[in-house]
Amino acid sequence: MDSRVKILLLIAYFVAIFLVSNFWGFAVAGAFIVLAILFARVPVISVLKSVKSILFLVLFTVILNLFFYSGEYKVIYWQVGDFIQITDSSVIFSAFMALRLTMLVMGSSLLTLTTTPVELTDGIESLLSPLKVIKFPVHELALIMSIALRFIPTLADETERIICAQKARGGDFESGGIAKRAKAMIPILIPLLVSSFRRAEELGDAMDARCYSGSKGRTRYKKMKIGYRDVIATVLVAVVIFLIVYFNKIFVGII
Amino acid sequence: MRIICKDLSFSYEPKKKNTAYALENVSLTIEEGEFFGIIGHTGSGKSTFIQHLNALVPLQSGELLVGEFDLDTKNKQYKKNLKALRSKVGMVFQYPEYQLFAESVFEDVAFGLKNFYPELSLKQIEQKVKYAIELVGLNYYQIKDKSPFDLSGGQKRRVAIAGVLVTDPEILVMDEPVAGLDPVGKKELMDLLHSFKKGNKTVIIVSHDMDEVCENCSRIAIMQGGKVVKVGKPSEVFTELPDENLELPVVARLKNALKTKGVEIDCKLESDDFIEEIVKKYKERNGR
Ligand SMILES: Nc1ncnc2c1ncn2[C@@H]1O[C@H](COP(=O)(O)OP(=O)(O)O)[C@@H](O)[C@H]1O
Ligand SMILES: [Mg+2]
Repeated sequence: MDSRVKILLLIAYFVAIFLVSNFWGFAVAGAFIVLAILFARVPVISVLKSVKSILFLVLFTVILNLFFYSGEYKVIYWQVGDFIQITDSSVIFSAFMALRLTMLVMGSSLLTLTTTPVELTDGIESLLSPLKVIKFPVHELALIMSIALRFIPTLADETERIICAQKARGGDFESGGIAKRAKAMIPILIPLLVSSFRRAEELGDAMDARCYSGSKGRTRYKKMKIGYRDVIATVLVAVVIFLIVYFNKIFVGII
Repeated sequence: MRIICKDLSFSYEPKKKNTAYALENVSLTIEEGEFFGIIGHTGSGKSTFIQHLNALVPLQSGELLVGEFDLDTKNKQYKKNLKALRSKVGMVFQYPEYQLFAESVFEDVAFGLKNFYPELSLKQIEQKVKYAIELVGLNYYQIKDKSPFDLSGGQKRRVAIAGVLVTDPEILVMDEPVAGLDPVGKKELMDLLHSFKKGNKTVIIVSHDMDEVCENCSRIAIMQGGKVVKVGKPSEVFTELPDENLELPVVARLKNALKTKGVEIDCKLESDDFIEEIVKKYKERNGR
């Protein structure tokens, strides 16, 4: 699929998720995202892993909403004081929040799992290109993004190596209070900064040596093309949004 | 301090099924006072092995004794011993100049010293730092207040090495110490290692340069795919090609070439020794 279409559809999907106001809508959106994950043939485990990584956030919001949600209610299940209470609407609302967050993460992990960082930045660059009219440096922004993405693993490796080297010289990064730990970070951060500058300079030289001159007249190695999959996906998302809005109309209550 | 290593295995992703092992059943004993070389192709596990010696990676399976320290993580003394161990085993990483951080050369060299021996007085620190900086062949008074980032590449490396030698370790481990140095720099560094070794210290160098290892080391281990495939004196180890990715040292190649022409030279695999033997043979012939 075209990365531009993917990004736009993800945004549409996010909007759809926020439009949902009853469980029928969630059923539609859930069915859609599960189908999409299956069709994309991404390993389900990786999707679950990214969901797991926000599990804490989900639990946190659920617990807060469960106790402190103060919308209209019919039944009170449990109450302490004036503010802390579990009502039928707070249960439903926190369930909604949990579903929303989970589905958002499932959607965005589907994008990141099926799209390389390069495709992603290319897509963003292309989508933002109308901004060029107001002299916004779109190409440069995309370049910065892809360089940053490219160097994350390099810097991670470098950090690991420097930590090892300072540990071997008796550096202690695991004990002591906050102030002591912050001070202990200096022997790691300074070499890291220095080597980042060095790398930046080298990269700049390498780009100059290859006559890099910005976006003007630049051609692409990979042309982005919209294919039949993109059309199908767009239609599906449109149907999902329509259904959600429709269900919101016909099932006015929460369930 | 003697290093005894038995059946050491290590994987960077131990939880994965069918995981690739960076080290597999490595057994090796390195005696006190040896100049030991570890050679092998890139990715053969050399760096992983030497990081074990300093407990920078936890022991996964097998045994490792470094002097009186048992590096088994289940050992109750393990955490407590870490500092003492690391003060005795000096580790110089590949491209050590990238670990410099302090405002002055003096502060950078003193970093390890202050970490390991916080009780030292300023005077003692100064004395030891001076000793270390002079040991690596730099002028203490000229360089001590300079920023390490203003030095040349070779000077930076020397300062970084001084920062490890300053604690006077019993074992000095160096990962690819001569990578990126010019021939003169290489020679000077090796001379430095030899002079450091004088006090019955152990020096372990990692390299993939056969000639360098051959000229300097008393014993050598060849690693391949995480395993130690050969251990011994240079003349024992370099009899045939150990690995298609490695080349025999020049002297060994010359020796083999002469042998095919019917000239047997019996010598150690050091260029001086080799030349002496050749000259002797030559004179013998002419004398006849
Ligand atoms: N931090 C790391 N994470 C994962 N794998 C690693 C890491 N460091 C090394 N390896 C792997 O372990 C193996 C041995 O690496 P290493 O000990 O660095 O070899 P050498 O120093 O001989 O080049 C290699 O296959 C390498 O890919
Ligand atoms: Mg290495």
